Amino acid sequence: MTISVTALTWLVGTATLITVLAPIVLMIFWILDLLKGRLW
Amino acid sequence: MNSMHSATLDAATGWLILAVFSVIWVALGGYLGRRAVGLEGYMLAGRKVGLALGTATAMATWVTSNTTMAAPQLALQMGVWGMLGYSLGSVGLMLFAPLAKRIHALMPSGYTSGDFMRIRYGTTTWRVFLVISLLYGLGWLVSMGMAGGVLVHALTGIDYRIGMSVILAVCVLYTMLGGLRAVIGTDFLQTLIILVGVVILAWLAITEVGFERMHASVLDERPELLNLLMPAAIMFLFNNLLFGVGEIFHSNVWWSRAFAFREGVGFKAYLIAGLFWMPIPVVAGFIALTVPALGLNVPAADMVGPLVAANLLGASGAILVFIVVFAALASSLDSLLAATSDLILTDIYKGHFRPDASDAELGRAARWVVMGLGVFAWLLCLPRITTLAELLYFTGAFVASTIWPIAAGLFWRRVNPAGAALAMVAGTVIGLGGYFLIGFYVAALISAVVSMSIVLVSTWLRPGDFDWSTLANASQARS
Repeated sequence: MTISVTALTWLVGTATLITVLAPIVLMIFWILDLLKGRLW
Repeated sequence: MNSMHSATLDAATGWLILAVFSVIWVALGGYLGRRAVGLEGYMLAGRKVGLALGTATAMATWVTSNTTMAAPQLALQMGVWGMLGYSLGSVGLMLFAPLAKRIHALMPSGYTSGDFMRIRYGTTTWRVFLVISLLYGLGWLVSMGMAGGVLVHALTGIDYRIGMSVILAVCVLYTMLGGLRAVIGTDFLQTLIILVGVVILAWLAITEVGFERMHASVLDERPELLNLLMPAAIMFLFNNLLFGVGEIFHSNVWWSRAFAFREGVGFKAYLIAGLFWMPIPVVAGFIALTVPALGLNVPAADMVGPLVAANLLGASGAILVFIVVFAALASSLDSLLAATSDLILTDIYKGHFRPDASDAELGRAARWVVMGLGVFAWLLCLPRITTLAELLYFTGAFVASTIWPIAAGLFWRRVNPAGAALAMVAGTVIGLGGYFLIGFYVAALISAVVSMSIVLVSTWLRPGDFDWSTLANASQARS
């Protein structure tokens, strides 16, 4: 059973999108923690 | 055809990158460490770490040089299941989320995973656990130190001993200066570097090669890599899953963070870190599938990542990989140094030799323990015994035996303490038997099954009756 090009595109595309979002989410968390004085 | 040489940087560039990032990590670690007050400030970052730093440190620590270098290697050797199997390492992080919440609730004043085992199960089980945990911690530390030297040499040509010594010394220095605050603070920056780096490489592979061409070339030259029923890869998947769960459940690297996080942060931080970690091996790994389309000759599978990067981006690609690998190495090495030295300080030094040691004495000793551990790891790394890198597979039997004693011990008051000790010993011994007689891929599985059976049967035959408040009271009295 071979993975199709569509499935491979979805797999890698979704993984890349989540990895793009990760640093953005972390920075948002950082700013929120900083504003609330809850960084440390 | 491109040669292996195209993946390497010249030594001068390598030294420049090493110097710049070494200065950044040491300066940042030293600066953050100045605000660490007392033993709790040094060992547990003051127990008030927020969600942003908590999530980033869990992610960064779990992204080792293996994740960035071995994910492409596994994709090249085991195809789609290789990178998917690796990404299941995130299950351990996500499963630890409820445990972190429970640990914080049961032991708000706890320091180490050893504290829990001692109070929950008594001295014998605690000592069995310490042997397993310290063996594993040292094995991981040495394998990371060696990986640093090997990768620096492979990427830049700098001598193994020099590269390994520099990376280890930098991590020891800033961990010693700033304790867990330095580790967690640098982890945040290192996480961003790793994520941005792997995304750039993935984006280049997608835009320059494209999925259609990539898929067609692999199907033509290496069709087995796209096979979803590759038996070896499926076995790797299950072993990796259990190994990861065992590594995270028992290791003080993760427990110390559960103690260090602000109330209400542990569950969210580990869950989000697991969700964001899951795609990284796929993103870092799939670039290996471009090898047939790019017509690359890969003489060593573990160098496929830098080779593809250099092919897509020239020298800048190799520089990018080097920076990402350095960040991944530092983020894991510093965590291991801090957590293992905490275990040595509280469970060996105070627990066995200096039970009356004050916080001030422990605070002074903590820095020496970090340095001593760094020197010990350096001595073990010097001979470059490559088989030591395989030590991590070997430790699968050890760590998987702790899954049930830890998880059941946190939630089930009836667990039999003697059964927990026996479960770890028998699970390890029989798991090692499986490692040698069958293969590395069954060691963790056998160990976990044996350990689970013993915990369940011993508890069924002679149930205990643990009072949960003992954990809070004993750790409070000790601290």
